[in-house]
Amino acid sequence: MDQEAAQLEKRHVHDVYESTAPYFNDLQSKAWPRVRQFLQEQKPGSLIADIGCGTGKYLKVNSQVYTLGCDYCGPLVEIARSRGCEVMVCDNLHLPFRDQGLDAIISIGVIHHFSTKQRRIRAIKEMARVLVPGGQLMIYVWAMEQKNRHFEKQDVLVPWNRALCSRLFSDSSQPGRKKPCAHPERSHPYPPPCSVCSCSVCFKEQCHSKRSHSMDYEPLMAGTCCAAISKDGEEENGFYNTLGKSFRSWFFSRSLDESTLRKQTERVRPLKNTEGWANSTICIQPSRHSSLDLDHHEPFSTTEQYLDEDVFVEMSQKQLEWPRAPAAMKHQHGDQQGEVRRNGDGNFLEGTNASENCVNVGDVEGGHPSASKILRRISALDSTDSNPEETISVEEQQPNILDSRAFMRYYHVFREGELYGLLKEHVAELHVLSSGNDHGNWCIIAEKKDNWG
Amino acid sequence: MKLLTHNLLSSHVRGVGPRGFPLRLQATEVRINPVEFNPDFVARMIPKVEWAALLEAADTLHLVEVPKGPIEGYEHDEKFLRQMHHVLLEVRTGPSLASLATAG
Repeated sequence: MDQEAAQLEKRHVHDVYESTAPYFNDLQSKAWPRVRQFLQEQKPGSLIADIGCGTGKYLKVNSQVYTLGCDYCGPLVEIARSRGCEVMVCDNLHLPFRDQGLDAIISIGVIHHFSTKQRRIRAIKEMARVLVPGGQLMIYVWAMEQKNRHFEKQDVLVPWNRALCSRLFSDSSQPGRKKPCAHPERSHPYPPPCSVCSCSVCFKEQCHSKRSHSMDYEPLMAGTCCAAISKDGEEENGFYNTLGKSFRSWFFSRSLDESTLRKQTERVRPLKNTEGWANSTICIQPSRHSSLDLDHHEPFSTTEQYLDEDVFVEMSQKQLEWPRAPAAMKHQHGDQQGEVRRNGDGNFLEGTNASENCVNVGDVEGGHPSASKILRRISALDSTDSNPEETISVEEQQPNILDSRAFMRYYHVFREGELYGLLKEHVAELHVLSSGNDHGNWCIIAEKKDNWG
Repeated sequence: MKLLTHNLLSSHVRGVGPRGFPLRLQATEVRINPVEFNPDFVARMIPKVEWAALLEAADTLHLVEVPKGPIEGYEHDEKFLRQMHHVLLEVRTGPSLASLATAG
């Protein structure tokens, strides 16, 4: 199983990051405020490592400490290095550091890429090993419970669509409209590629201002900026037309970033077909409802069906953990659907047999007693490092560029309490100091116990 | 990479370390990269240095003026701190060591 796990991760984590690294250049994504705070609170002179540093966005947050970045992905490390960071390629399961050498470690959006529980535990234990007693570890993982989207399963493949992004932002002419997101090839003045394209930083100031109007309660996926665009009401047609072309092969489980499309559809009522597309792309339930056959979706049905089934059959063969959705969640679905409809939330559930489908979980928190603990969303980025991927683009012009299953990243999304439980039961050398939810991520700060070797 | 980074790694001695990979520094690949001197910062690093590894690295790279160990009152000894600053933060080994992909 470990080998299969490693293979899955190679295909759906490492290879994807390696291939998509160029699009992460520069400002890959915004630094999470709480992570920044954690880093800034470390004592001056501390030795800190960012395990899974990507392009190094956290490595220069605190100039009074010595921060090393590590990532499995060579190209991402090179990007970080070119920015002057002290980085190296390494494997979270075999960190090259000596025991008890580091004062603090951050692991932001990393552990959820390990495909088995044992590997996740090993990764955490490895980080504990290199911590000094009293040293702190901060871990962020993507939460299964999301406010406005829903993961039916904990093990998901999230697609990434660079081509979509490039299309959106290079083709559409948007006079007078601010372009929050840049073409990944940086043909636009705004560097950060859109989260929809899985690039992330959409959070430029323009985005922020737009966001405040409409998406305050959305976990802001990179896609938010895209949503913002459409909200301005100028380009929706162009946007959706472009979107539509690229959504040929949607598949699978709830992608992170529907907030973009969902919000857009709320505003873009008049666009019948494209709206439907957008909706459906948001939540596709793979195996069961592969045919998004809302009337407007002919292009999707067949392709998708194949893709969905294919994806998930493969997954199950790999003996991954597939916890069933808890009854509570199902119950919520029922509740949510009504709510969704009432909200008129452009969710494609309206009109579909969507009992199992990704519900627009407008109010997941209602179903969770611990909802009250969920931190207020401030703004910004949701989930993990790179976020947003909406879809695999299968553009006609570039039929070979993206295999329908290419660039899909594997995530094990965590249930509430799961990460905490993992540490408590399996990593005795760490003592949990705090845990909570931050923008759709479960986060934990733990400390290496003093009496540990 | 900087020698401070190198010092944090688990395999310093010549040959294969506990994690299974050798770290060999090459004298021909040394570069000096000026870094602003921050005495407080350097002073805080001193207790974390593994001296045997540092001295071996310095030896391999033919570095001169490397303190042999922390001296008494080092926190206020500017000469000492400047030397350590140079060794730990300004000396850089070549790119061949920058990637330490461990055996998976």
